[in-house]
Amino acid sequence: MTYDLKPSPQTSGGEAPSSESRRGFLKLAALTGAVVSTTGSRALATGDIGFFAKDLSDEKLIDMYRTILQIRWHERTQADQMLSNPDYRGYNHFYAGQEAVATGVCAALRNDGPFDQIDLVYSSHRPSGHAIAKGVDIPKMVAEMDFRATGMNGGYGAEMHISDPSVGFIGADGMIGPAPVIASGSAFAFSARGSDQVAVVFAGDGNYAAPHFHSTLNNAKLLDLPLIYVCENNLYHQYAHYSYSCPHKDIADAAGAYGVETEIVDGQDVIQVYNAAKEAVDRARAGGGPTFIEAKTYRYYNHWGAPGAKAGELGAFGYDPLAINSFRPEREVRAWMQRDPVDIARKILVDWGVLDDTRAAEIEEEVKAEIAEAFEWALSQPLCTPEDGLEHVFAEGTVPARQFG
Amino acid sequence: MAQKSWMYSVLEAVQYEMQQDPAMTWIFELTPPVASNPNMPVINLETEFGRKRVVNTGIDENWMASAVLGAGLAGSKSATYIPYQGALIPFQVIQNVAGKLRHKTGGLAEMPVVWIIEMTGQTPGFGQQHSCYEEDSYYMHIPGVRTVVPSTPYDAKGMMHAALRSPDPVVYLYPAGLRTLTEEVPDDAYEVPLDKAAVRMEGSDLTIVSSGAGMPGVLDAAETLTEEGMSVEVIDLRALNAMDTETIVSSVAKTKRLLTVDQSYYTLCPGAEVIARAVENVDGVKVKRVAFPDAPPPASPEMFTWMRPNAEGIKGAARALV
Repeated sequence: MTYDLKPSPQTSGGEAPSSESRRGFLKLAALTGAVVSTTGSRALATGDIGFFAKDLSDEKLIDMYRTILQIRWHERTQADQMLSNPDYRGYNHFYAGQEAVATGVCAALRNDGPFDQIDLVYSSHRPSGHAIAKGVDIPKMVAEMDFRATGMNGGYGAEMHISDPSVGFIGADGMIGPAPVIASGSAFAFSARGSDQVAVVFAGDGNYAAPHFHSTLNNAKLLDLPLIYVCENNLYHQYAHYSYSCPHKDIADAAGAYGVETEIVDGQDVIQVYNAAKEAVDRARAGGGPTFIEAKTYRYYNHWGAPGAKAGELGAFGYDPLAINSFRPEREVRAWMQRDPVDIARKILVDWGVLDDTRAAEIEEEVKAEIAEAFEWALSQPLCTPEDGLEHVFAEGTVPARQFG
Repeated sequence: MAQKSWMYSVLEAVQYEMQQDPAMTWIFELTPPVASNPNMPVINLETEFGRKRVVNTGIDENWMASAVLGAGLAGSKSATYIPYQGALIPFQVIQNVAGKLRHKTGGLAEMPVVWIIEMTGQTPGFGQQHSCYEEDSYYMHIPGVRTVVPSTPYDAKGMMHAALRSPDPVVYLYPAGLRTLTEEVPDDAYEVPLDKAAVRMEGSDLTIVSSGAGMPGVLDAAETLTEEGMSVEVIDLRALNAMDTETIVSSVAKTKRLLTVDQSYYTLCPGAEVIARAVENVDGVKVKRVAFPDAPPPASPEMFTWMRPNAEGIKGAARALV
């Protein structure tokens, strides 16, 4: 099922966007933030999805709020490290701005228990948010991102390859394309062995253009696999607006053509994301097949690292030298920041009487301290031993050094 | 003639060929065909030739690689720039379609096509999937596709002209770690052949053969070894397929000692082929090869920089041979 997130003043009529209509598209994208920001809480406007969040305990709702904050402060703290600590070597494809998507989806998943019972998450790019929402050990993740021997993956992987199967976080993938197809393979295994587990893949709007997108949805539908494809449409793939690679305004329109159930959600609102994910998870567990969720969202930083950002400030507004022919207008960034996932989650929980502003602020301070400690611990961890690079090639043994002849 | 950067030199060649041939196309993702150089006009293929001929696509290297082949088959010279993220996604269409097309059509297929395949791997910290220097071994194995890897801006420009004018499909490997090199590069069009190695230094004690990103370390090591009194001959392969056997063999026949250096993995690195051709043709040759171990490149700079072949390792291997 689909519904319109907002009025659609632009009708593409199916034709490829010309440069003229692309400008209209960009204006519309900037406007989207502004228009939606005036509508207040949209939670009740989603009449055709069940409002499952009504059943969540206060404790669970506060956990979700805490998760959003953990992601936010991880991203901000790491960006500050990149910008102000010359000794810091880590980097990220920052997830700030998209926190509600990972949090809302993972809140609907089974994250604790034996490996053969928990749900699996595949991340592609911007993996730190997905990892935290799925429940990885944050200090170990921080250590991994700074190439520490005691990091989550021993310093072998770093940001683009973080992985912790013990919590069902299969991991990041540095490539655009393969993750969804592989996730569908996990869903296939669940289906084949009669498990009620589900597989979730987070992928960006850029993945639409890859053949993998189409293969994933076709096979997931043909086999009715318990797969949830979460398309985080943050408007940009790498340095290009998604109108360069996708003729649809809603990528869900394309997914629907494969016969997959589709939903479009406001990715800035964790409750709406949760509602959509819960419905998809219930369907998948019951053997009802795959769901494609398109979350309309936005990244506050540029594609990679923190160019254009300033230490202590959220978001990047400056020019990214890598974005030669398509960089983000500052007003677009600011318009989206008016609908901040942290602010929206806090307001909903306060409105619902789950917590008050004072408690909400206390929780944020607790999370900031937790993240600060994580960085402090991680950055004091030992560096890797060079010779260990010859390990973990096969299950056993090491390969020979060849660099000395 | 001016000091030019690598990318400026390459795009000068592409710009010239596109000006000569209004049918020629260029497809890219992520990396816009833009280069600047001090006191020279900015080259921007997208603005100069327009978005009908110079296309910015989605992240779909399969389409990019296939589309230039189709354009070539339709009679339009065509090139695409595949950034390192997707360096082997085009493999199937290059290996199983382009490589066999001329042969399976009994010589009828015409493919004026160039795939520029970016290789990275020089930046410690960008491990694993963003740190590949292994494409040379894969692509050089394909019959019917010329695979070249320049190591200087001068060769990069001349080989780009030659590749774009070649009737054969060309995999033009670009070791991105060399992007900071500059040298005197002529303004006019010129060709550097797609099947000839270059002798960079002449000597009689030892032949060192390398290519692409391996060359700076080799030249650095060779300089020290020369100062130590060793007479070193340095060969830059440039062409991986077809490989210039004659240059290798005549050098090794003189030195009887051969050291190969690759940033690619040890198993099936280009040097393995060089050694095979040398010992097939020259008796009594002592050989060694320096290469990246048969392990994926780890993210940790401590592990990665230790594993990557460098001038120190090359010097040690050379001293052990002579």
